[in-house]
Amino acid sequence: MGFFTPWFLAGTVAVGLPIWLHLLRKHRTNPLPFSSLMFFEQHIQSSIKHRRLRYLLLFALRTALILLLVLAFAQPYIRRNILPTGRTGEVAVLAIDNSLSMRAGDRFERARREARATIGGLHPGERAQVLAFGQRVQAMGEVTDDHSALNAAVESIQLSDTKSSFAELTRAVRSIANSLHLPLRLHVYSDMQQSGLPANFNDLRLNADVRLETHPLETKETPNFAVENVVAPRRVYENGKTRVLATVASFGAPKASRTVSLELNGRTIETKQVEVPESGRASVEFLSLDVPYGRNKGDVKIDSADSLAADDTFYFSVERADPRRALFVREAGNDAALGYFKTALEASGQSAFAIDPATVDQTANLNPAKYAFVVLSDVSSLPGTFENELRTYVRNGGSVLIALGRNAAVSNQVPVSDARVEAARYSGREGAMFQSAAWLDTSHPSIQNDNRWDDVKFYRAIRINPGSARVVARLTDQTPLVIDQQLGDGHVMVFASTFDNIDNDFPVHPAFVPFIEQTARYLGRLDSGPSSVLVGAFGELRDSKEVGAAVDVVDPRGERVLSLAEATKAQNIQFEESGFYDIRRPNGRNELVAVNADRRESDLTPASADTLTLWQNTANGTGGSDPNAANGPAGATNAPMSVWWYVMLVVLALAVAESVLGNHHLSVDKEAA
Amino acid sequence: MLQRFLDPATLASISGLDLIAKTVVDGFVAGLHRSPDFGFSQEFAEYRAYSQGDDLRHVDWNVFARTDKCFLKRYRGETNSQLLILLDTSASMSYGSQPVHKLDYARFVAASLCYMAHGQRDAAGLIIFDEDVANYVAPSTRQGQLFRLLHAIEEAKVGTHTDFTKPFVHFQNFLHRRGIVVVLSDFYEQPETIIRTVEPLRYKGNEVILFHVLDPQEIKPKFREPVLLVDMENAREAMEVSPEYARNQYRKRIGQHIDELSSKARAAGLDYFLMDTGRPLDEGLREYLAVRKGRF
Repeated sequence: MGFFTPWFLAGTVAVGLPIWLHLLRKHRTNPLPFSSLMFFEQHIQSSIKHRRLRYLLLFALRTALILLLVLAFAQPYIRRNILPTGRTGEVAVLAIDNSLSMRAGDRFERARREARATIGGLHPGERAQVLAFGQRVQAMGEVTDDHSALNAAVESIQLSDTKSSFAELTRAVRSIANSLHLPLRLHVYSDMQQSGLPANFNDLRLNADVRLETHPLETKETPNFAVENVVAPRRVYENGKTRVLATVASFGAPKASRTVSLELNGRTIETKQVEVPESGRASVEFLSLDVPYGRNKGDVKIDSADSLAADDTFYFSVERADPRRALFVREAGNDAALGYFKTALEASGQSAFAIDPATVDQTANLNPAKYAFVVLSDVSSLPGTFENELRTYVRNGGSVLIALGRNAAVSNQVPVSDARVEAARYSGREGAMFQSAAWLDTSHPSIQNDNRWDDVKFYRAIRINPGSARVVARLTDQTPLVIDQQLGDGHVMVFASTFDNIDNDFPVHPAFVPFIEQTARYLGRLDSGPSSVLVGAFGELRDSKEVGAAVDVVDPRGERVLSLAEATKAQNIQFEESGFYDIRRPNGRNELVAVNADRRESDLTPASADTLTLWQNTANGTGGSDPNAANGPAGATNAPMSVWWYVMLVVLALAVAESVLGNHHLSVDKEAA
Repeated sequence: MLQRFLDPATLASISGLDLIAKTVVDGFVAGLHRSPDFGFSQEFAEYRAYSQGDDLRHVDWNVFARTDKCFLKRYRGETNSQLLILLDTSASMSYGSQPVHKLDYARFVAASLCYMAHGQRDAAGLIIFDEDVANYVAPSTRQGQLFRLLHAIEEAKVGTHTDFTKPFVHFQNFLHRRGIVVVLSDFYEQPETIIRTVEPLRYKGNEVILFHVLDPQEIKPKFREPVLLVDMENAREAMEVSPEYARNQYRKRIGQHIDELSSKARAAGLDYFLMDTGRPLDEGLREYLAVRKGRF
């Protein structure tokens, strides 16, 4: 027995009050003269003894009352052996792993078989619930004692391509325990992959009234080969061979030679042999991918000959398209900026954009709407019609990149954005009178992958008031260097210097190429995402302008994922299977998404027994299958149980008894008074 | 209004016993005048036709003048009775939970009776006794008898314990004429003994009234907690008494004692009256007058 708040025991000094009142305080009995004692008899002494006895009883009651009250505040607890079979109302929770790794061999079937055996062993009236868990936890039915319903729930569990997450299972079980307010006995049927355990072990903490019983389907590591990753361009704009790089991984397997095949639209393009080291990785490079126009389904396969075939194929999608056009407007004779810009864009590899150069005078009859984005390279003024066209173009979602130089300083106003030029900062090339980029917003898409601007020298910069626009980069004198302004649905990016290697040396600096490429992709709204995503990832189906339009999604099995109502409302979709998802948008922006299972599932190494024991020990109700945790009889656990409530009940009973007894004494007093 | 003056606590504030007696009796008599049922000597009784030999002094000449017939006016005869008061001054009589203890109360009653008897020209006497006769004033109608009585009552001291035998034998020796005998005592004795001692007086034609003077605390004792009671007539005798016993058994026993004494007294032809010292004195006087009236 112990106390949760033992300092309240200091209140026992209050026992001195009834002791003083009843025992220490002298009850002086003054002799009282009475006319005659002929009507009093000696046997009345017994009644006085009774009265004294009651008096002592009252004293004992009051003393006990104070002591128990102090005891209640001290919150006593006793250590009680909790027998595994002594828990009333215990609900069995059967959690079956349906992650990708359960496809190996007959693991999933064995898990279901063991779950059915557990259901068959339930006591009559003992309730249970079936869960399926992978990356998410899915309740397969209500809590019931109907064995047929439980067996049907087990049968209804389907294998998935998701990654197992024991942390998610633990969170769900905690939630169930909190909602049911009943002790739980958690049975986990899984291959207990090490990779399914969370980084923070605290995420596996179970409630005190949950007992964990694991049913590991594998206790030793199973060798496995998998195509771990494929690097392929998502879009191809040029004619010619495309490079594809695949990584083959070995998990617990000895060194072996594997045949790796590259397929496109079901046709084998190239096959190679690769030596995969023991528990290592090998890369395979394919240079023979000739991508036809349109969206293509590609994959890399190996002949693994292992028990888990689901990870032997890695899907990727590749799209062949013509480069998109971009308009580059400059003053006549200022071709240096065009040259640097175009070279930088082409130097980025697959050129998604083709530059259409134009002088200011040539823009009068141009319609910017057909361009992916427009560059205004240090122009003084634009024809009014073209500028109006540009404004409309931006409001409708188009993008403009404006470089400011001496011509812009003369006009005193930034085209399209109408921002005022506040000053032109010029620093001479002699000496060290240049400025550099002092601060970069690396979260902006135009510079997020390359922020090494430290050596870039800026000699001239046009200072404009950014207003509410987002400042992406600043010079050392805090002049905004790169500004991104949202106008309508489009963007206007202002570069407060030029691209001509005169006002700065940025074009000859290595950071220029990625800046131009990323800015072009950002302004041209070219998604440069990977060629494949993981199972469980989300894909965007529509933007704010496409409200009400139906989006059609076809899953790898060729079935429509969304109902008619969902097709007009759903903003995104979660990819739950590996394979190709065909997303058909109403604006023609169709997409083929390759989805692959998380390759951490390929590592079939089971968690160690110590780890599982630790997990079981996170719940106080454990001990059923763990011999180390049991220190009492037959697996009983020694848990503290607060007896505060019982003490308070006794206090209440004593208070009532004290009131009755005390009132009896007082009733005599009232008449005598 | 006058009842207020008969309250023992009020009377206790009056210093002189004669004044107390006068206050009690005058107030009591004034109260009686409202009652048509009471009256005593010198009262008109009836008319009777004159017959030869009747005393002409009793002829109502006013009636003769109006009717020309002789009628005699008859009155209740004036009588002289003898009142003898036996006042117990034993130690137990000094007990009192009220402002007026039992002996004082008995004094007031005795003084009032003496005053009343003096007003009626009755011969009043007094015996003060405890275990022996402490003082004796022979019944008389002589001048100054009232003051002798009041003085004797005033001077009565608390004695020891009660013994009825000696004073009553003594009293029988002095009693030569029939009258009313009033015994003022708390009668802490067995009822058989009391009746056996007092009963012979009745045989000699006396009207005997037993005034049982008791304090309210003696009738219904109430104690807050167990108390150590010391017998006032025997200081060596003490007893611890619980409130429960005093509330239950004692009340039952004292009630039985009172009932037994009352019934045995009436069976012996004695008048018995319980005087609670917490109550006014007029009830005692009323009893006395009822007895005196019945006597004549």
